[in-house]
Amino acid sequence: MNLIDVYIHEVTRRLPEKNRDDIALELRSTIEDMLADDFTEQDVKEVLSELGNPAVLASNYSEKPMHLIGPRYFDVYVSLLKMIIPIAAVVALISVMAKYIFNYDENQAILNMGLLILGEGIWVIIEVFIQTFFWLTIVFAFIERVDNTKDHSPLSINGKKWTPDDLKNVAYIPRKKAISSVYVFLGLLWTAIWVTVYFNADQLVGIYHKGENGLQFVMPALNQTVLNSYWPLVIISVGLEVALALYMLLKKQWTKNVAHLNVVKEIVGTISVIVIITNVAIYNHDFLIYMSNLLNFSESTILGFIQRITIILYPIFAIWNCIDGYLKAKIRK
Amino acid sequence: MSNLLDSLSTELRRGTLTLAVLSQLQTKQYGYSLAQLLEDSGITIEQSTLYPLLRRLEKQELVESIWDKTESRPRKYYKLTDFGAEIYEKLKTEWLVNSKQLYELLKGENEDESD
Repeated sequence: MNLIDVYIHEVTRRLPEKNRDDIALELRSTIEDMLADDFTEQDVKEVLSELGNPAVLASNYSEKPMHLIGPRYFDVYVSLLKMIIPIAAVVALISVMAKYIFNYDENQAILNMGLLILGEGIWVIIEVFIQTFFWLTIVFAFIERVDNTKDHSPLSINGKKWTPDDLKNVAYIPRKKAISSVYVFLGLLWTAIWVTVYFNADQLVGIYHKGENGLQFVMPALNQTVLNSYWPLVIISVGLEVALALYMLLKKQWTKNVAHLNVVKEIVGTISVIVIITNVAIYNHDFLIYMSNLLNFSESTILGFIQRITIILYPIFAIWNCIDGYLKAKIRK
Repeated sequence: MSNLLDSLSTELRRGTLTLAVLSQLQTKQYGYSLAQLLEDSGITIEQSTLYPLLRRLEKQELVESIWDKTESRPRKYYKLTDFGAEIYEKLKTEWLVNSKQLYELLKGENEDESD
């Protein structure tokens, strides 16, 4: 095989069809010019190494970029990635949670459902990340190649050249005022966990004994039928928590409206908790007897203790959460 | 450090290559003869840069090319167009002004040091 032929082929196969023959002919003529009349293979190698990597030579000819996304679009590309991925991930996570909650299967091993949501949630987030990354990269790599403008200056997010007026559109968020997407994610995770526990309380909350196969569930503390009858309250609370999470994700910082919505969520949550906890019917009577034997108090004392602790502590945390929201919303710099 | 120096001086030279090539195309040249001319004047230019550059200049209508296939080895000759000659003159003036300014700047620095 003739090295010169192969070299020329390696260059021209990377070029558009219409230029190939002309460039091939010129390249051959040049290479022969560079060689003495009687040349050895070593001479050919030297000449070819002077011309360098065929891929580089071809890219110099074609003027097509040798990068996927160049400086003109890179900043817009990264900004869009950072904007789209968290939103897409949260939407995907919520849809996974909704799927499990609405298709709730009575016979399913219960603790598994939480794990399934967690597992599929993580998988869905990874998938969303890969998909978003892939498609956005494809789109930008394409734009990079069809953009014929001579101007190579980087673009700002609105697709135009930067001007000082762009500064007016920048959302400057002080660190203490900001709501990170991790915070929102943890909030949603918490919602998923407590909903799962609530609707499966008769298999999760109660007395455990140490058995041969690890912990064994002996007796539920709560009455599932009564708990389930409060489903409208639970749906409203979940709806408010998801709405607040999405709103926070959108605003990225504590504002008055975020704080207002937070208060609505806390009020509804607190009322729901108090209504449910003060209904004596939710407690499993056997559980109260068991506890009274164990702790040497009467059943009503134990019941009162549980109720009072909840009625005092829950509102304190709720009120603190509301105030904290307004304090953060007030931060100016 | 020598790496950095290399890349900086390559960068410094890059902008002048077009001017150097245009200057030698007032008479017609083929690729290799042009490379030789530039090399003899001490201008370093990668071959893989020079030949594509010639085509780019042709596309920008600064130079025109003609194939001479009468001799044993076909050769593609390049020559400045009228438009190319005009641009070359302007670019040359620009360069002379710039280099004079830079020279003054560098000379001034030397004097400062000797103070």
